[in-house]
Amino acid sequence: MDTQPNNGISDAAAAPIPNTNGGVPGLNPDLAVPTSIPPMMMPGQGFIPDQSLATTALPDASSTAPFMFSNGNGNGALPDKAITADEIALYDRQIRLWGMAAQAKIQNANILLITIRALANEIAKNLVLAGVGSLTVLDSAAVSEADLGAQFLLSEVDNPVGMNRAEAASAALRKLNPRVRVHVDAEGVKAKGPSYFGAFDVVIATDLDPDSFNLINTATRLNGKAFYAAGTHGMYGFIFSDLIEHDYVIERDLGNVATQPRQETRTRSIVNVQTTKEGPKTVESVTKRELYSTWFLASDVAGLPDEYAKSRRRLRSVTPALSCLRALWEFMQIQGGRLPGTREDLKLFTQIATHKHKALNLPSETLRPEFLRSFLQNLGSEIAPVTAILGGQLAQDVINVLGQKQQPIQNMVIFDGTTMEAPMYPLHPEGTLGANLLSTGGGVVDPLTAAAAAAAAPPPPPNGSSAMVVPPEMTSMGLDASPGMVVPPLHPATAAAALAQTQGMSMGVDLTAPSTSAAMMAPVAATQPPSDASAQQVSAQTTASSAVPTTSSAAETQAQAQGSTSNNATDASPQTNTMSTQ
Amino acid sequence: MEAPKEAAADAVPSTSTAAAGAQEPQQPQRVVASHPPPPPPQRSALAARDRYNHQSLGASLNSLVKHARVLMVGAGGIGCELLKNLVLTGFGEIHIVDLDTIDLSNLNRQFLFRHEHIKKSKALVAKEAAQRFNPNVKIVAHHANIKDLEFSVPWFRDFKIVFNALDNLDARRHVNKMCLAADVPLIESGTTGFNGQVQVIKKGLTACYDCTPKDTPKSFPICTIRSTPSQPIHCIVWGKSYLLNEIFGVSEDDFDHSADADNAHEIEELKKESEALKQIREAIGTPKFPKLLFDKVFNADIERLRSAEDMWKSRRAPEALKYDDVMARASQLLESKDAILADGQRIWSLEENLVVFNDSLDRLSKRLLQMRATKGASAPEPTITFDKDDDDTLDFVASSANIRSTIFGIDLKSRFDIKQMAGNIIPAIATTNAIVAGLCVLQSFKVLKGEYGQAKEVFLTPFANARLLAPDRNREPNPDCPVCGVYYTSVIADLNRATLEDIVEGLVKNQFGYGDKEFAVSTDVGIVYDPDETDNLEKKLTELGIKGGSFLTITDEDDELVDVKIDIQDGVLDGQKESFRPVHAGRPEIPQKPQKASPVETDGSSHGQPNGKHSLGEEVVEAPRGAKRPPPDDEKPPLKKAKVVSSDDDVVVVEDAGGAIVIDD
Repeated sequence: MDTQPNNGISDAAAAPIPNTNGGVPGLNPDLAVPTSIPPMMMPGQGFIPDQSLATTALPDASSTAPFMFSNGNGNGALPDKAITADEIALYDRQIRLWGMAAQAKIQNANILLITIRALANEIAKNLVLAGVGSLTVLDSAAVSEADLGAQFLLSEVDNPVGMNRAEAASAALRKLNPRVRVHVDAEGVKAKGPSYFGAFDVVIATDLDPDSFNLINTATRLNGKAFYAAGTHGMYGFIFSDLIEHDYVIERDLGNVATQPRQETRTRSIVNVQTTKEGPKTVESVTKRELYSTWFLASDVAGLPDEYAKSRRRLRSVTPALSCLRALWEFMQIQGGRLPGTREDLKLFTQIATHKHKALNLPSETLRPEFLRSFLQNLGSEIAPVTAILGGQLAQDVINVLGQKQQPIQNMVIFDGTTMEAPMYPLHPEGTLGANLLSTGGGVVDPLTAAAAAAAAPPPPPNGSSAMVVPPEMTSMGLDASPGMVVPPLHPATAAAALAQTQGMSMGVDLTAPSTSAAMMAPVAATQPPSDASAQQVSAQTTASSAVPTTSSAAETQAQAQGSTSNNATDASPQTNTMSTQ
Repeated sequence: MEAPKEAAADAVPSTSTAAAGAQEPQQPQRVVASHPPPPPPQRSALAARDRYNHQSLGASLNSLVKHARVLMVGAGGIGCELLKNLVLTGFGEIHIVDLDTIDLSNLNRQFLFRHEHIKKSKALVAKEAAQRFNPNVKIVAHHANIKDLEFSVPWFRDFKIVFNALDNLDARRHVNKMCLAADVPLIESGTTGFNGQVQVIKKGLTACYDCTPKDTPKSFPICTIRSTPSQPIHCIVWGKSYLLNEIFGVSEDDFDHSADADNAHEIEELKKESEALKQIREAIGTPKFPKLLFDKVFNADIERLRSAEDMWKSRRAPEALKYDDVMARASQLLESKDAILADGQRIWSLEENLVVFNDSLDRLSKRLLQMRATKGASAPEPTITFDKDDDDTLDFVASSANIRSTIFGIDLKSRFDIKQMAGNIIPAIATTNAIVAGLCVLQSFKVLKGEYGQAKEVFLTPFANARLLAPDRNREPNPDCPVCGVYYTSVIADLNRATLEDIVEGLVKNQFGYGDKEFAVSTDVGIVYDPDETDNLEKKLTELGIKGGSFLTITDEDDELVDVKIDIQDGVLDGQKESFRPVHAGRPEIPQKPQKASPVETDGSSHGQPNGKHSLGEEVVEAPRGAKRPPPDDEKPPLKKAKVVSSDDDVVVVEDAGGAIVIDD
């Protein structure tokens, strides 16, 4: 199934691209690898447990990626499987809230949940109760005594300690709702290639280190899938989402003034308005679109929205937990994924946090020592009330995204259980957002491919002209493995390979060698207008993010570079799967 | 999910199931029952499991949690989530009270329950399921109504915190009152669809549940229902509260039509219509019955209405239907009857509605005749009343409402939608309950630490731009609140001996120091004593309907002192001179009433109540006292005497007055 058009997106997004041949990717016979299962995808891997899943997952663009690039009509044709009378009775109270069409979409959705600790226990419980089509739980860790504290799903098993955590939790999930197919994948996420993620409609990664979030997000971007990252540390936690571009339809009674298509916020626009007569009243169906950016950008370099910068009061109200989480992520990147523990660590963490706070233009007095102490005290912990709240919010957003009838989270929620606040900050770089951020021309293009393609082309010459920079895929996949210093720009392809290696994550392809498809790409990529000089400084994602605080100006530059990039490449979108089989 | 609403029907005796010693005495004789903290769990086993709680809560708060004895009222949508959180957090002893049993439609969110648990007690199954989450916690389940007398003020007093996880106004107000009387902090929560909220109620410090008046159930004027419907709900209420009841329910007309003086003539006509319908009722079960009924309510009555031309000057006049005409068109649909009935999502045509009307009428008629045939000689006449989960009644209400809507040119509705409107179904989802239940526990941390200023009134703000939660400062108590603006005290009375005079003279005048003040004494029922009403003084309290667990209210006629609410506890005081004894020694300091000048505006009320706050919860809220439903046994209708209105907490809504048919939504 991996050779099927697993992004589905290019179909709906084909508008700007001529000659897409109906948008079916992999149409180039040289690129398509018919029917064979990629080597990395073992038969028992769980996410394609049976043929029926394979057929339900990918019938057409509208159901494989219902949340993105949708046809602007969220209540269009129902997905393949109708809802039975039994299901209507079981799901009665929720169908009355979000309707049959949304319920059908939920029941046809395949969800991947990575790492199942207490937060994921809550997410899984909520999604399984709602009746998603399938839930794949991926976790390679063994159950510890401490896991028993807040992970209630473990209680279905007699002696879970020492068992695989995904396996141990799955028994309870299956009993919770026998209609949901629950799959267990006990491999580590780092063993997965990008194409693995293409089989799911939504990928939720919890309680991971930032580099893992970054890699998974890159893979979901490649596959055009919705991505969530979330984690808790005791009283504190966060939810991040990258839906790339998400359309949803708000239905409401027509007011005195008809709604017009327009830009509502920096990220949200009204793209379509339809009216229908329902008895005596007229109903307006307003299609809105939200644009997103990636974990890499939102987790570190992106600043607060403009309206914050203008208001001292708003800046003062920003939770210091945001700075602390950013500091924690950076600390983990520098320190190989571990949490601060020693006295030295705490000192370093405090320095980074102070810097992050400053980088967000937040007043220094809002980062108080008591707060830092409280935050640090909670690191690594998980407690039931907080995981219940965040797991509830995240699962509800997944459900809303599948149903396409509600405003989704945009894009970072920070939770502080001591104040019971859950502010939401849209954290985005300057410039282009959405699908164009990391792919080309609206179709989903494998950044790795593009990077490799660029490698085959001569490096773009410096150019004093403003707007354009190198294709974002080059910068996005770059990586510098040596923390603490700014390195000269890497050759993009090398950088991508370095990324894969450093993360210990097989991306399933030798990135240093231009692939066939990459070669195909080369001319396109090479014709990208080279851009301003600043782009040339840009080396690699992780360079910026793993550097000590003083390098953040470089990071910001890079964010700008990424954000302002636009692409017009390519109609022959090489497919992830093609890459991954090599 | 606590369901006093079904107290009469579902009176199941309390069955406490728990570890030894959990069985509570039935009568509230324990005046000061000091429960020892649960035995310290084995440190080694506990330490690893409790590591994160210890880390994040800190040693002292975590210790408070481990030794806290808490009560959770309701084991439904919020309750299942809350119980999980309480157990995982390690609250030492958790009591659950719920009267309800498990239903299929609960399973999409009440995750402690599974298919095999349907019809079993929520409290008992929840205990069994949640116990596995943490063996170090003691859980005690009570399958009982929280309004039962066994759950007395002293019983409440033994809890550190009470959590409300309820779905109805009546039980919420009861627990609110009990917690105020016992001075136990209450964490109140509710959800409706995507919305939810949590508040902390602490006597004297924060607003109580009744500090702000709650919306009364929506009601419709009788004429709107019977003569001039303009919305689908009007026709649904007509089908449910009028037609179904007239045919299969209690036949006497107990509506009060007097208020509609302007419509006196129309009311008279409506009475005649009802009379005529009673005649037709005699034909139940005969082949001619459907046609007789149809032509009566959908033709003759409509023609009569239409003839009142004044009524239709500014409205579309109704168009009467003839049974034979519609049937002629519907006859070919008869064979697809099952398919029509199976499709409750689609809006049926007029003809399809007639098919359903006839079929449901047939089913209900057979049932009624069967019930009559098998009833005992002395048993009352059997009736069938509306139940949203009884398909026969639902089909009948849906089809008759839709036929009536056709006549009046109103939109038809699907059976699925009509079920919701007629059954007052509130949408409910797991996630909202999970979020709210998590917030309840975070609030409890503030309460345990005594940091009431840090506790917040938290609202969920789904789909808002900048935040998912809106924590607001707690509201101040409303000094004029009839529930928390009063002075609570407890008195042990020997009910076999104590007379009202003992209370009036010995307790109020002497011990409370009212002396020559003029005051009134009232019970739930109304005033039993005031300076002009002395007939009852010699009666024993039992003769006045006062039991252990009853409240007496002392109202200062000079309006200087706040009302005093006396919780009467039944006790044996043999060999003592007095027939009563205050629980708290010494003369109580009864506060002065606040100045009337400026009623305190509730601060932080910018959010108002989210939808259905008063009926929050996740299930069906039945009309607390529907137009034709007798009040539950333990509640007598209040005397409509102005001065006692404030003394009672849940009887102010007399919604069957004024000729209104009530539907609460």
